[in-house]
Amino acid sequence: MSKRIVVDPITRIEGHLRIEADIENGKIKDAYSSGTMVRLLEEILQGRDPRDAWAFVGRVCGVCTSTHSLASVRCVEDALGITVPPNAELVRNIMFCALYMHDHVVHFYHLHAMDWVDVVDALKADPKKTSELAQSISHWPKSSPGYFSDVQTRIKKFVASGQLGIFANGYWGHPAYKLPSEVNLIGLAHYLEALEWQKEIVKVHAIFGGKNPHPNYLVGGMACSIGIDDVSGINAERLALVEQLMKQGKEFIEQVYIPDLMAIASFYKDWGAIGGGIGNYMSYGDLPINGYKDASSYKFPAGAILNKDISKLHEVDLRKDDEVQEFITNSWYEYKGGNAQGLHPWKGETSIKYTGPKPPFANLNTKEKYSYLKTPRWKGNAMEVGPLARVLVGYASGKPEYKEVVDKALKDLNIPVTALFSTLGRTAARGLESVLVAQWGLEFYDKLIANIKNGDTRMADTTKFDPETWPKHAVGVGHAEAPRGALAHWINIDDKKIANYQLVVPTTWNASPRDGKGQLSAYESSLVGTPVANEQQPLEILRTIHSFDPCMACSVHLYDEDGNTISRVSVLGD
Amino acid sequence: MKQRNPKILILGIGNYLMGDEGVGVHAANRLQEMDLPIAFEVVDGGTGGFHLLEYFEKHEHVILIDATLDKNELGTIRLIKPRFATDFPRAMSTHDIGLRDMVSALQIMDKMPNIHLFVVSIESIQQQGIKLTAPIEATMPILLNKIMELANQLQQAQSAVLI
Repeated sequence: MSKRIVVDPITRIEGHLRIEADIENGKIKDAYSSGTMVRLLEEILQGRDPRDAWAFVGRVCGVCTSTHSLASVRCVEDALGITVPPNAELVRNIMFCALYMHDHVVHFYHLHAMDWVDVVDALKADPKKTSELAQSISHWPKSSPGYFSDVQTRIKKFVASGQLGIFANGYWGHPAYKLPSEVNLIGLAHYLEALEWQKEIVKVHAIFGGKNPHPNYLVGGMACSIGIDDVSGINAERLALVEQLMKQGKEFIEQVYIPDLMAIASFYKDWGAIGGGIGNYMSYGDLPINGYKDASSYKFPAGAILNKDISKLHEVDLRKDDEVQEFITNSWYEYKGGNAQGLHPWKGETSIKYTGPKPPFANLNTKEKYSYLKTPRWKGNAMEVGPLARVLVGYASGKPEYKEVVDKALKDLNIPVTALFSTLGRTAARGLESVLVAQWGLEFYDKLIANIKNGDTRMADTTKFDPETWPKHAVGVGHAEAPRGALAHWINIDDKKIANYQLVVPTTWNASPRDGKGQLSAYESSLVGTPVANEQQPLEILRTIHSFDPCMACSVHLYDEDGNTISRVSVLGD
Repeated sequence: MKQRNPKILILGIGNYLMGDEGVGVHAANRLQEMDLPIAFEVVDGGTGGFHLLEYFEKHEHVILIDATLDKNELGTIRLIKPRFATDFPRAMSTHDIGLRDMVSALQIMDKMPNIHLFVVSIESIQQQGIKLTAPIEATMPILLNKIMELANQLQQAQSAVLI
């Protein structure tokens, strides 16, 4: 007999997301992922000036706000045939790297670590032993016994004040927590360190984008003026601050994030065989070093992998009518030409037709439509996107940088390459690409400085900024690898206004409902077969779903078969 | 609390694309247009979350403006002085996950500023669009007055201490 567990993470950042899982004999037999909140960005954009779209899409989400703006300016530039100057590309790349460094570290420590680190147990750790351990895995200077005992004192004082705050809703003491107390204490201490650190790296966005959150972008380039002696623009002093921030960020990733990730992973190697899912991976590629149009120059290569076969990389074409398509078989929408077809985003429609239960409800009727997310497919295949997809595509492409970091991690952990197709692999891949991105960020910085010193201060191509220069009709597509995965925006411009604008975001690829053929998308598929030791505390579900970085903290509801709430447990922040 | 920025920070948060949910951001934008005296700093925090930590560490007084789904009458304005993460109203906004964690962390690190939180009761976070509904729009002048009244009080109290 199977039981249904409802995991209802309130994704207040990116719309609500809910997981319903059927459990039989301690394992997940089937799982349903549902987006329960509607977003009509497409409607808001219709009829607007395409040059303003980046500002609206940047507001979709506060976490990776700038990648939406980036995809947006790229799709408009594509439609209008604009090539941005090299400096603008470099500034976009540096902002992109800063975003990744911020986002991946925050995800690891603040949204995911507590699935592996037992903070209550950390209070039992011996500060002296913790210090010895910390010094054996990293050169990070904050590692004295006094430092760790101070962290314990602060947390004890905080808990004694009756406020559990961030620690109120964990499954502390769950048997799936396997770390020694000392590793738990390191994780806890670095939770606080990472929080302090993250506020620094975001300053890169404020410097180049004028403000943060929601920095400024510009169709045709970037909106900042640059010059060593430019008093009001990006001058030598500000550039030096960017370099300093990028270096500090790299140091934090190399000396804190990676040693912690490897130490924690070494106790959870069994998760290298759990949570794999569909085994199809896709990256659109990003970080151009020879212009966005030259995909062969991307630091993140583009491509698709099918059935875990990393010996073969397939080409992805976002313009082809029969490659990326969105289906609505199980989504609360309707298509004019019938609901069975898949539509390429240039022909995309966003017409809502809600047929689900009236909220609040106990369970969704998963035999019928059950989500506000559409179901995107690539040549009919369900694809996983995100750090693991990027790292696998990079590894499959044979790029030496990828080979080096991936092979070293596999060797250090003593696990086979197949262990990457898993929850552990997803979480590890995020760290590994952070190392690369931190290195690349400084490369881009050096190139920018060299350009400026050579007298090239061009930051935008405005020759086609005037709508009078535009064709009557134009279509464009812009892609960006958001921290959470492949993101693309498609635009149709008619008479200088937006006629249609479609976003296919990473979470839609990963969290969408199954398609008409019954093929599961990444979240659903990765949960099938996952063991759940205690259905009242489904820590295992959180580990796998959080490994995708679903851009949210979770609130977990548990129901018995009659749909009654038997307990409600929240995780992180609620 | 030492060496904090003496400017009174007025920080509006919310999602600009989600109708009334964005009331804090709308308020911040309107205050920015008013050209306030230099003693006040107005920031559109958007759906900032963790990104906003710097502001909380830097300033002594933070006036926060946000929407809440607290079942009070639409447009009700309340002033709360939250000391802990749990003092923040539930289902406050699209971003309170980051915000609550941040407040907890500020406490652990002994870095909490004085937070003055104006919450405006809204009915739904499902509505879409960049316009406020009529009742919330009607509340806006009252909200802005209350914010500036408090901001002036705080600023005067602070100058008195400095003298």
